Amino acid sequence: MQHFAVALACALVSTLVCNEAAAQTPEQMKTGAEIYERNCSPCHGARMLDPQGASDLRKFPNDQRERFINSVTRGKNQMPPWGDLLKPEQIAALWAYVVNAEGIYGH
Amino acid sequence: MRFAASAAAALLFAGTVASLQTSAQTLDDLKNDGKNPDNILTYGMGYHQQRYSALNQVNKGTVKRLVPVWNLSLDNNWGEQAQPIVYNGVMYVTNARATVAIDVATGKQIWKQTLDWPPETPRVVCCGVSNKGAAIYNGKVFRTTLDAHVVAYDAKTGKEIWKSKAAEWKEGFSLTVAPLVANGVLITGISGAEFGVRGFIDGWDPETGKQLWRHYTIPARGEKGNDTWPQNNNAWETGGGSAWITGSYDPELDLMYWGIGNPAPWASQSRPGDNLYTSSVLAMRPKTGEVVWYYQFTPNDAYDYDACWELILAELKVGGKPRKVAMQLNRNGFLYVLDRTNGELISAKAYGKVNWASHVDMKTGRPVETDIAKSIRDAKATEHWPSTRGAKNWEHAAFSPQTGLLYANTLHEGRMYKHLETKQFKVGERYMFIENLPLPRAAGDPVGHMEAIDPLTAEKKWRVPLTDFQNWSAMLATGGGLIFTGKETGEFIALDADTGKQLWQFQTGSGINAMPVTFTQGGRQYVTVLSGIGGLYWNIAREQLKDKVPQGGSVWTFALMQD
Repeated sequence: MQHFAVALACALVSTLVCNEAAAQTPEQMKTGAEIYERNCSPCHGARMLDPQGASDLRKFPNDQRERFINSVTRGKNQMPPWGDLLKPEQIAALWAYVVNAEGIYGH
Repeated sequence: MRFAASAAAALLFAGTVASLQTSAQTLDDLKNDGKNPDNILTYGMGYHQQRYSALNQVNKGTVKRLVPVWNLSLDNNWGEQAQPIVYNGVMYVTNARATVAIDVATGKQIWKQTLDWPPETPRVVCCGVSNKGAAIYNGKVFRTTLDAHVVAYDAKTGKEIWKSKAAEWKEGFSLTVAPLVANGVLITGISGAEFGVRGFIDGWDPETGKQLWRHYTIPARGEKGNDTWPQNNNAWETGGGSAWITGSYDPELDLMYWGIGNPAPWASQSRPGDNLYTSSVLAMRPKTGEVVWYYQFTPNDAYDYDACWELILAELKVGGKPRKVAMQLNRNGFLYVLDRTNGELISAKAYGKVNWASHVDMKTGRPVETDIAKSIRDAKATEHWPSTRGAKNWEHAAFSPQTGLLYANTLHEGRMYKHLETKQFKVGERYMFIENLPLPRAAGDPVGHMEAIDPLTAEKKWRVPLTDFQNWSAMLATGGGLIFTGKETGEFIALDADTGKQLWQFQTGSGINAMPVTFTQGGRQYVTVLSGIGGLYWNIAREQLKDKVPQGGSVWTFALMQD
């Protein structure tokens, strides 16, 4: 509820001035972590720690949600599209996980 | 008159034979590949896959005059891994996007057939969007596609003759393997163990594309070997066992040798048992797919020790007696020599740093696992050598009958490896459940080697450390005493087979992760390699390489500079 209120407040004001990380629920982050572990970690590295050739998601700007959602849905560079496999709410959960990485792992 | 008639008949016969020879490749041609140096008709430059040519026009003395004679762009950024096929002055080259026929004399493109696959397909390709090459037989060129089809083209025109679906890519299947034609049957394997497929090898009718047989690498309930899988869950149905590197073939024994991939998921707790026939070699009949013998390198593989690599066939003197052997520099760090008539283990020596097993028990043929293996199986983060990428990956070794040595690009890499809790299988999604993080590396530590290895002792005749980037290109050994290979930074190089000393190099403009070949045309020796960074190592090292090595595929062909 508290998260919902923050998210609503963010939406009402401007996402840019809000802390994007605070706008996610723990359930979303858990779902996102599971999807990440199965489907994303082989290229982007376990817990985002070892991105090797893929983009380093720890550095993904946390005010660019739309860019993230678009890239995952439609594919970007070497990354294939995921939009036919993952539902929009699952991709949103992935965003929740990625944007909160610092809080979760301290990086 | 009778004489004239028979002479005319003889001429007609000779003419028929000649025309057959120009339009078709017979099984005898394939069997004798390597004896006519104008052609390269099989993967591995001979059914034995020795990647050796007796040609010696280009040799230690003359290699300094080796220069490019032509280059052809493949207009492809996905990476080039293929081995070219050469027949009657035409070279056939593949990548994930196209098949190209090239005039060997001029480097001009004769035909090109492109492939279209859904942009989502690379999702089910674990290790590089690529293709390992074509097969040729009876006037047709055969290849596999990323979205799990097998295609036949008319060798002369490139016209598609048939296209058969091997599997559904959305279920995690893909095909990058170069097909094998053995005893009249076209044979292909499959990729997808990282997505929990149940692997198989298929036999096809080369004329029609009709499937003749399918042999699953994991036996079903009631079949021999299924008892090495849990009986209280369905792990065998999603157990992996890909076959993504072309098998070698012994026509006299009529046995082909296919290396079988890792079990799925990589984390092993849900699949106790040996998990046959994953991480094994299968000796099979090409006509039927029947398995005559098997040998499992890594029972209950917990490390992604895929055994798909080349099984090189040769005759070795063992205890003074000649033996027909199959050799493999297995990903698990041991160099295996097997009697290929029956699968008996002759030798298994570590050729790199190995900490998961102390040795291979020569009585049981099984690796003896260490406390490191126990720690991994107990789901603890563990320093693991060799890493899941192996002491050697797919980049094929060569064997020179002249020196009796194997030549290989090997990896020197350990990682911090951990099994995670396994979760439910989901069709078409990753099925691995591991963490695999880098270890700190001291400056100057090699990341791999180029080396000459004695097959029976695994001792190194020479070893060249690589301290910047690993080599992911196959080796080619020649009668000129040379070893050709390529670097991810683009250099195509020739080494002295006796010392490992580099004698020659040429910068090809993109990274090399393919398979060099050599052949003759009009009495002149040519050497060809594909350039175009891609494959697994590009996935791994892109950050370090992307500002140094541009993408872009092309074919380079070299010969000695003429006066």
